[in-house]
Amino acid sequence: MKRLRSIIPALIPLLVVTAAAELAVRYGSVKSYLVPAPSSVLRAMIESRAELFGALLTTSVSALVGFLLSTVAGIAIAVFLSSSRAIQRAFYPYAVFFQTVPIIAIAPLLVIWFGYGTRTVVASAFVVSIFPVIANTLSGILSTEPALRDLFRLYGASTLVTLFKLRFPAALPQILTGLRVASGLAVIGAIVGEFIGGQGLGSVVDVARTQQRVDKVFAAVLLASVLGLALFGLINLVSNVTLRRWHASEQ
Amino acid sequence: MHRRTFLRIAPAIALLANCGKSPGKIRLALNWKPDPQFGGFYAAPYQAHGLDVEILPGGAGTPTIQMVGAGSAEFGVVSADELVVARSQGNDVVALFAVFQNNPQGIMVHASRKLASLADLFKVPGTVALQRGLPYARLLEKKYGFEKVKIVPSPGGDISAFLADKNFAQQCFIMSEPLTAKHQGADVQVFPVSDAGYNPYTTVLTTSGEFLRNDPDHAKAIAAAVREGWRAYLDDPKPTNQRMKQLNPSMAPAVFAEVAEAQTPFIETDETRRNGLGSMTKERWEALIAQLKDLGDLKTAPAPEDCYRAL
Amino acid sequence: MQLQGVRKTFDQLVVIAGMDLEIAAGEFIAILGPSGCGKSTLLRMIARLAEPTAGSIAIQPEEQFQTSFVFQDAHLLPWRTVLDNAALPLELMGVAREARYATARTALQQVSLHEAEDRYPAQLSGGMRMRASLARALVTQPRLLLLDEPFAALDEITRFRLDTQLRELWQTRRITVVFVTHSISEAAFLANRAVVLTKRHGAIKLDRRLNLPIERTDDLRMDPRLAGEMKVLLSAMEEE
Repeated sequence: MKRLRSIIPALIPLLVVTAAAELAVRYGSVKSYLVPAPSSVLRAMIESRAELFGALLTTSVSALVGFLLSTVAGIAIAVFLSSSRAIQRAFYPYAVFFQTVPIIAIAPLLVIWFGYGTRTVVASAFVVSIFPVIANTLSGILSTEPALRDLFRLYGASTLVTLFKLRFPAALPQILTGLRVASGLAVIGAIVGEFIGGQGLGSVVDVARTQQRVDKVFAAVLLASVLGLALFGLINLVSNVTLRRWHASEQ
Repeated sequence: MHRRTFLRIAPAIALLANCGKSPGKIRLALNWKPDPQFGGFYAAPYQAHGLDVEILPGGAGTPTIQMVGAGSAEFGVVSADELVVARSQGNDVVALFAVFQNNPQGIMVHASRKLASLADLFKVPGTVALQRGLPYARLLEKKYGFEKVKIVPSPGGDISAFLADKNFAQQCFIMSEPLTAKHQGADVQVFPVSDAGYNPYTTVLTTSGEFLRNDPDHAKAIAAAVREGWRAYLDDPKPTNQRMKQLNPSMAPAVFAEVAEAQTPFIETDETRRNGLGSMTKERWEALIAQLKDLGDLKTAPAPEDCYRAL
Repeated sequence: MQLQGVRKTFDQLVVIAGMDLEIAAGEFIAILGPSGCGKSTLLRMIARLAEPTAGSIAIQPEEQFQTSFVFQDAHLLPWRTVLDNAALPLELMGVAREARYATARTALQQVSLHEAEDRYPAQLSGGMRMRASLARALVTQPRLLLLDEPFAALDEITRFRLDTQLRELWQTRRITVVFVTHSISEAAFLANRAVVLTKRHGAIKLDRRLNLPIERTDDLRMDPRLAGEMKVLLSAMEEE
């Protein structure tokens, strides 16, 4: 019951904005071909539900796979980078490349390498979402308290043991922060990949746009947002379960 | 001499005499990067007609028709089918000048495939890149069926996928991408979409009904300037091409000149020689509306005479 | 343990300029000095966590894992229970689960923390955390216990209690304790021997055997003898 009550404050602005938009389009000066009335978005969603939910499933799978890949690879790369100052200086700038490269520019390259279809979409989601994982994980690993590292050294723990028993668990809150950011980016990356690769919600948006079906565009975008929210919620759940007993953020 | 000069200045004088208010800066939004398809717009003598026009170059997906509807541009370049759909949704946009009298859309394939017609393309396995949401694509789907081919999104003006794969076919403007591909060594064959019976006016100058009502004189002046611009561009595209090349470095300079030449038969036809460049007929609009209605794109079909104005 | 000519510099900064010190087994020695005099650095060198720039530190007999360290902050691993934290050194040394839990429980009992063994550090008070840290230091049966201002962050009552508990542990286990502090009263109350270091270069200003009974009870805190020793230590720390 308490959970339900905590959602209500978040729902109120949503209801107000939706009602205002409906009125503005129906009776006011907002043109329906620019901003669709919420009722027409709903109608589009119901009319095209098979297509939309099929697309949602496709995009979800691609985004999730891309996200999992960037989680695993991102953490691995961060562990590698944490091993020495020299390695960081040599390779970290290339990791930053993932952050700064505009996905729109390299998406056509991805198509050339991976072809039209899911692989390109996953690759796009991966490229867009990996950097926050690397950055946050590295930061978490490197900011382990020196005293704790001393403690482990005192009792003869090897670098590997220190990594798994100390630095990793200590970095977990930051890793989860990185994953939260990465989850939303993975959805965006998947959608962009789908503009180029031609499937899922990205394709629905692209095709509907050229058909001038703004209502359908909004319906697809809405579903994409829901997907992003769902992934975010999943990370929060994981964070809650793992950090619940010991970290300030979940107290 | 006197008379010609007077005639040329007359519109400007009329304008100045007539209005107390000038429209300020008039924005003309293009739906692609500056290239020969917009030559006449860049060559047009706006100032001589007392107009201050700013041309806004576009790119992939520029929503020119929505921009005109929303008022973020006073004029825009659209294609006729877009306009009909927009009108059916309540967007009061009106066509003034049709640059391409015939539809320059086409699908380019590798000549080595020895395909005889557009119909053949959809009978053999291969990849066809087109914008699936566009009316012409859905007309092709209805007519030929897409079951045998793999449909992928059109990569815009990028022909790298086309060059890399012999079985790759791509939507294009007949006188544009194929020429670029030829320059890169590809053996290209093009099938016009109009072969399938789909022939809307393209690269159409459009404005809002509101602008026409409030500022009929300026609208007329723009139409006149554009007409003169296209005449000048057809007669000698070189100076305007220079200007556009600087704005759009993505098209090779040699290709610019070729494209300008290749597009001429689409612009100057017997019809335009009779009725002037950019002129439109009710019958063409009627036929287009009927086709779009048949495809299911229109909630309510607009009246053909509402779609365009001869100025 | 013998420190000979021990010198430590960080780049250009000379923290300790040649120290000679001998510590006998079973001593409870307090190292006093103002902040920045190098006492923490000294302790870390003894623990082999840092290397002296010159000189040597010899510990007889040399054995592995005979030294334990207690930091100013309890530094428990927040994602482990008290019991797991206490057992950590044994875990790192490769001791089997049952054995290390048994030893850990004993240590927790010695610091009166055995009832909290399933709790997490976030659920403990500062004093309880420090006690857990102490228990962790004791599980390896160390012969040398190094403490770096361990009770400085705690309130006075807790500090007094832990002082007493530490002293008791020292007596029952017969370990050598090196206790770094900047509190004169604590140094006097706990130690048999006090060494005062100078602010610059960490040189030994005073090395004094304290004239106090072996049994240190709370009453001693009010005893004039304690005040007397404190006075000596204070004047040593003051002149600079």
